[in-house]
Amino acid sequence: MTTLAERPVLGGRLASVPRPAPRLSTIVSYGVIIAILALGVWSFIGLDYSLKSLDTTGKNISRFLTMATPMQWPGWEVAGERQADGTTAYVTTWVGFEPIWQMFLTIVITLALVIAGTALAAVLSVPVAYGAARNTTPHAAVLALCRGIGVVARAVPDIVFVVVFAILWFNSGTLPAIVAIGLHSVGMISKMFADAIEQIDEGPRLAIRSAGGSKAQEFWSGIVPQVLPAWIAVALHRADINLRGTVILGVVGVVGIGYELDGALHGGPAGMRRVIPLVVIIIVLCVLFEIVSSLLRTRLLGVQPTGKGIGDTVSRAVSRKQAAGTGSVSTGSARTLDRHARIEAAMHRPWDRSRIGNTVWIWLGILVVVGAFVYAAPDVTKMFAPTWSELVDPARDRAVWPPHFGSRSWADVMGAVITTIQIAFAATLMGAIISAVVGPLSARNVAPNSWVRNTFRGIALVIRAIPDLVVAILFIIAAGIGPQAGALALGIGGVGLLAKLIGDSMEEVPNGPERALVAGGSTRTQVFFSSTMPMSVPAMVSHLMYLLEQNIRSATLLGIVGAGGIGFLLLNALQGRHFDEVLAYVLVIIGMVVLVESASILIRRALK
Amino acid sequence: MTNSDTPAVRITDLGKTYPGAKSPALEGVSLSVEPGEIVVLLGLSGSGKSTLLRHVNGLETPTKGAVVSLGETVADLRGRDLRALRGRIGFIFQQFELVGALSVLENVLTGGLATLRGPRVGVLTYPRALREKALGHLDRVGLLEFAYQRADQLSGGQQQRVAIARALMQDPEILLADEPVASLDPESSSQVMALIREIAAERSLTVICSLHQVDLALSWGDRILGLRGGRVVLDTSTDDLTREEVMEIYGRVATTTSEIAALEDELAEAREQIRTREAERSAARERLTEDFANEEPA
Repeated sequence: MTTLAERPVLGGRLASVPRPAPRLSTIVSYGVIIAILALGVWSFIGLDYSLKSLDTTGKNISRFLTMATPMQWPGWEVAGERQADGTTAYVTTWVGFEPIWQMFLTIVITLALVIAGTALAAVLSVPVAYGAARNTTPHAAVLALCRGIGVVARAVPDIVFVVVFAILWFNSGTLPAIVAIGLHSVGMISKMFADAIEQIDEGPRLAIRSAGGSKAQEFWSGIVPQVLPAWIAVALHRADINLRGTVILGVVGVVGIGYELDGALHGGPAGMRRVIPLVVIIIVLCVLFEIVSSLLRTRLLGVQPTGKGIGDTVSRAVSRKQAAGTGSVSTGSARTLDRHARIEAAMHRPWDRSRIGNTVWIWLGILVVVGAFVYAAPDVTKMFAPTWSELVDPARDRAVWPPHFGSRSWADVMGAVITTIQIAFAATLMGAIISAVVGPLSARNVAPNSWVRNTFRGIALVIRAIPDLVVAILFIIAAGIGPQAGALALGIGGVGLLAKLIGDSMEEVPNGPERALVAGGSTRTQVFFSSTMPMSVPAMVSHLMYLLEQNIRSATLLGIVGAGGIGFLLLNALQGRHFDEVLAYVLVIIGMVVLVESASILIRRALK
Repeated sequence: MTNSDTPAVRITDLGKTYPGAKSPALEGVSLSVEPGEIVVLLGLSGSGKSTLLRHVNGLETPTKGAVVSLGETVADLRGRDLRALRGRIGFIFQQFELVGALSVLENVLTGGLATLRGPRVGVLTYPRALREKALGHLDRVGLLEFAYQRADQLSGGQQQRVAIARALMQDPEILLADEPVASLDPESSSQVMALIREIAAERSLTVICSLHQVDLALSWGDRILGLRGGRVVLDTSTDDLTREEVMEIYGRVATTTSEIAALEDELAEAREQIRTREAERSAARERLTEDFANEEPA
């Protein structure tokens, strides 16, 4: 008989249970959440969200509404008549189709600028992406250079490019706007193009290399066909973003619907009555454009059935069957022909449905892009005769170099930077709190029933569809100039993005542990807090950082339309044509963006 | 064109160690392949078959020794000269490596890129003569009617045949094939192997093909090269080889003398253990019989 060794009492053993040090990703995740919470609260306090300011905001909104109503839609004219008792009666009269046609042309020119600018950016991005992708770059120095170009292009707001080019190429029509949109968009497009190149299958490229192909042949025959659908999808997505951005470009005089809005805002009482209709038109335009672009994107990415899903499998099977079918038929007839005739017959590709379809789409695309350039009619000749003296002329006290802050002290500038950062953090916290409710409830495995899920999905979708920058502008107009309104608008706008991302990442959590808990008799809430949430934390933190990056950029832009901060200083410098100051502020913005992006990259790397 | 008395490929004391790797991928490989020879490379995965093939057309550079293909020392070639040499050597991959989004015809045409200057996008940007030639090769591999289909819509066996047509566009003098049928079903495998053999005969090509099916290798090739741990362990004509002899290539892989010594030590130790255990067992048996013997009379 063996006797078991005397075991120590439970309490003693518990004390000696080893507690491993927490993993880096855990520390980083919770660190980021706590930091965003703390900085968000600090920002709320800093931005003075007191009851008093809320009261002022309320008054501002009601004053705006009295001024903006009755609305004057294109095609109608609203005239006020002062009555005997001191009130004003408004009469709305139909003035014909001419203003509607004008509005239509404004929309067309807006779209033309966006499409031309984005197309230019896509073309410029190809060499930058080639240098910035790790598997194609000729040298490490080229890699650093191309990535640097991307970061700077992302950081410099397109509004800066517009003003500089408008002066450099004086009287060149839409040229500054197209080039500005193009250069700024290179930042995002080249990064995503490079990502696509890094994800390719290297095999076909190797095959072309072993057949004796040159580097250029490898790129055009082995890489481009693989990345093209992704590239077009990126360009469409960017066009979407650029359309929203043109609203801000209107402030510095870029023609289009943004300019109309700016004009209406500064057009006295008659102008104010056009503001709400214009904003509604802008929102509808953005939503329609997004729908078209996402339809095109799904069509484009759907052409290539490579996934493991049931749909892809079926479509692959069908196409293979068709291939086999046509093959056997034509072999039968081909046998009768001699080899030469067979080859001669195959020299001409038959006009089958897919060829017709592809050809129509390609020509439609080319037509739209060329049409955009032709309609926008930029005066390209001015590009070769820049008036440098307007930018650099010591005699007129006009110089880009050295950059300095003019009459402002470092403390002032830092104060403005802090305001911008506070807007971003307050907006991120606000977005995070609302999304923390909306996001999980829109996930299939969290929502108690499909009705709740669909409702919250719908909420996220509607918020997402409304362009947040446009809403922010409306808020700033309505609630009065100031950072509070900007933060509020960005915060609500962020819900659309963050809630969807959170919902998606919760649905992607492996469901084994959830089932185990359900089998053990846990309630839905218990399952959520014990399994779903802890498992999706790293993904959520990564999304949170993404939102923060976006908000820093948007907060800078909002400064330009009146939310204060560094954007406001930039606009002042631009309007005064103090380019040395513009350069100084741009450098500050680049520094800010680089800082946030590097922090974000480090955090995401730690989360992996 | 190569002279009939100079070998198509001559490899002398080839060694390759990948950066960061502990043991070499190839060590002391010397061999020469005569024009028109059909050579099969056999060996476990990781024995250096792919690495050896990739040295022949300069996709890899040797750390030691030299590879002379078609009279050119591969490692000395750069840029256009290297591309010209690669143009004379066809390469068939295990995963076909077609560009899925392009048409079958355009994939075949990419085999002719070495003869053209600058990149090409779309079938119509290739000269008419090349297009006719490509269609001819597609006809040869029996896939003419698929010319305008997307390459990724074809089955594996069909894709490999397209890859063969692509290699034919180069008018190769040597054809290298790296496990060409490893991802195919048996039926497509035999089709593809038969096609390579036929084409090699038609064009009197030199073929070096790595395989992992021993029976196929014996019936298909003229000569078998066995690789183990980066070294050539077998090099004979298939005529005087038995399956058992070939199977020895796949014996336990030991690459260095120290490893072999370690294995021998391990073996000796195991033998010792067996011996002691047997001694124990026989002792116990003796004791038992003794016990029985003592008890029985009682």
